[in-house]
Parts: sequence; C-alpha cells; structure tokens
Amino acid sequence: MKAIVGILFAAAFTIIAEPALAHPPPLGIPSFFGGLLHLLYVTAHVMAVFALGLLIGQQADWGRMALGAAIIALLAGLGVLTLGVVPRGADLAVLVLAMASGALVAAARALPEWVGGVLAAATGLAVALDSPPEVVSVSEANRMLIGTGLGGAILLVLAVESGRQFRLGGRLVAGRILGSWIAASAILALALRLVG
Amino acid sequence: MLRFLLLAATCAASPALAHTGSVIGGFAGGLSHPLFGPDHVAAMVAVGLWGAFLGPPAIYILPVVFPLVMAFGGVLGILGAPLPGVEIGIAVSAAVLGMVVALAARPPLWVAGVLVGAFAIFHGHAHGAELPPGADALVYSAGFVIATGCLHLCGIAFGLLARWPMGRIAVRTAGGAIAIAGLMFLGRLA
Repeated sequence: MKAIVGILFAAAFTIIAEPALAHPPPLGIPSFFGGLLHLLYVTAHVMAVFALGLLIGQQADWGRMALGAAIIALLAGLGVLTLGVVPRGADLAVLVLAMASGALVAAARALPEWVGGVLAAATGLAVALDSPPEVVSVSEANRMLIGTGLGGAILLVLAVESGRQFRLGGRLVAGRILGSWIAASAILALALRLVG
Repeated sequence: MLRFLLLAATCAASPALAHTGSVIGGFAGGLSHPLFGPDHVAAMVAVGLWGAFLGPPAIYILPVVFPLVMAFGGVLGILGAPLPGVEIGIAVSAAVLGMVVALAARPPLWVAGVLVGAFAIFHGHAHGAELPPGADALVYSAGFVIATGCLHLCGIAFGLLARWPMGRIAVRTAGGAIAIAGLMFLGRLA
C-alpha cells in the first residue's frame, strides 16, 4: 500500500512539473559542470544507471564488487575517450543493458554476484563510451570527462541506495514496478531504433 | 489524508512542458497517448481494479508483468507484424475485465495472468503501430509506459476500497460500468 501511494505521488508530482527554465541547456554548460550533469540529460543513461543501481541495491547477498566494477569500467571507458576513440553502437548497448537490468529488477530473483559484476562493468563501459564530450579544446574535453565520471559515480551510488531502501523498507514491489517500466521502455525504444 | 493529497496533486496537473521539442514525439506525447483512448483507459483501470480485488500476489504481479508483455506487443506493432482484430481485442478487454471485476471472479493466478497478458499484447500492438518513427524513441516510450502504469495504479488505489463492504460494492459497480463501456466500444466497431 505504501509503495503504491509512493509511486502515485511521484507520478503525480512529475506530471505537475513546471518547465525548468532557470537553467540554460545542459550541454551548453561548459567544462567540469557540463560533464557532471551530462548523464542526467541523456534518458537512456539515466535509465541504465538507475536500473543497475536498483538491481545492485535489491540483491541482499551482493558485496561491493558490482558497484566497484561499474565505477572502474566507467572511468576506463572515459579514459578511452581521452584517446580520441569514439566507438559506434554504444547507444544501442546502453539500451540493451537498461532493458536487461530493468527486467532483472522486475524479476527480483537472487542472482550470483558475478552476474552483477559483468552487467555493471558492461553498463559502466557502455555509458562512458556513449558520452563523448561535445567540445573542441582537449583540456575542456578532459575536464568534462572528469565531471562525467564523477556525476556517473554519484548517480550510481544514489541508485544503489534507492534499491537498498526499497528492499529494507519493504517496498520491493515499487522497485520491481520501476524496473518493469524501464525494461518495457527500453524494449520499445530498441525496436523503434532498429526499425527506423 | 494521503488520498486527499494525491487527489489534490492530480487535480492540479498541468501539461508537462519541461520537456521541450515536439509535443507529439516527446515525453508529453507518449504520456498523453494512452490517455486519449477511452478504451485503453477503461481496460487499464480494470486491470488495476482486478489486481486489487484478487489481492496479493496478483496486486503486485499484474502491474509488473503487464508493461513487459505490452512492450512485446508493441514490438510486434513496430515491426508491422499483423495481428487481426486489434481494436476489437481492446474493446473486448475492457468488457471482459470490467465483467470479471463486476462478478468478483477469482480464477487461479495463472488464468488471470494469461488473460491479462493476452489483452496486453493487443494494447501494446496498437500503441506500437502508432508510435511516431521520428520521435525520441526512448522518451516517448517511457512516457506512455508510465502513463499506462499510472492507470493501473489508479485502478489498484480505487480497488483497495474493496477491503470494506461498501467499498466492494463501489469497486464492483465500477467494474460493471467499465464492462458496459467496453460493450459500447464494441458496438461502435460493429
């Protein structure tokens, strides 16, 4: 009951949200802070990281391997970007991983920790490789990448804590519903992308 | 108190203009898409009502499973896979789901799951076939999945009244009204 009321409140207040006109376009923010906010303005990234965090927080028997793997892979991927390499297909990989994590959250089954490690490393890497800085200067790009790494790590830790709170607070079903929404959205988006 | 606050927040709703770009193709477009189909709305609310009526674990399983099965139907629609009688299936879903609530039917969980899942494919197919190809796919999809989920939750919230005798009457009456509406949708298609 509390979980349902919580979700309804969150949805209601999301719908009544007013335009956030106080801030300029996020990608127009230069340097470190632009990178820090970068993930928040890419829906697929938010979904992938949030679903992964929910999954990690949901699994009572997992240690910190998955969280560590995600952060290390995120930083490694950003490191690759500093070499000027921009691989293709990372955006699709992010959607696939968001779908996988969301579906696993919805299923709410106990999983071996190595599954989380693999999924976390893949998600961290894909999100990083899909975040090339849109600036010309190398120093500016590096500052932006540092911001992206920090922002991604913060977002992931917050998502893990959300998943943990859902589990400990007896609101597991709320997390499962969010996971199914993320998975369903990612499935539809993937189909549209592959067809279009 | 919580219900009153929820009602107040819902009544105060204004368009979600925070997401710029095409209103048709963006989050707002996806969010509003299921809400402008009264047959969709009736069926989704009925799913929630029935879930609440059946109690745990149906009340938890139906809103988790429905979006995933609906997405599968949506993929079929996006791929252009033919599914005969989609509109009829949607109207029938409202009529049948309303009727089972009105009759307080309590079949085994797997029967309820299969029935609701089958209807979810029709709803998903209709949504998928209507998704605008040029839209921001993920944002649009997220909008209409959330809208569908919120309709379920509205049905569940109302269905929880069934804990009380008068509430049971209200919920079953709502189910009857949805069944009649479903029959009217069917009549229009005939």
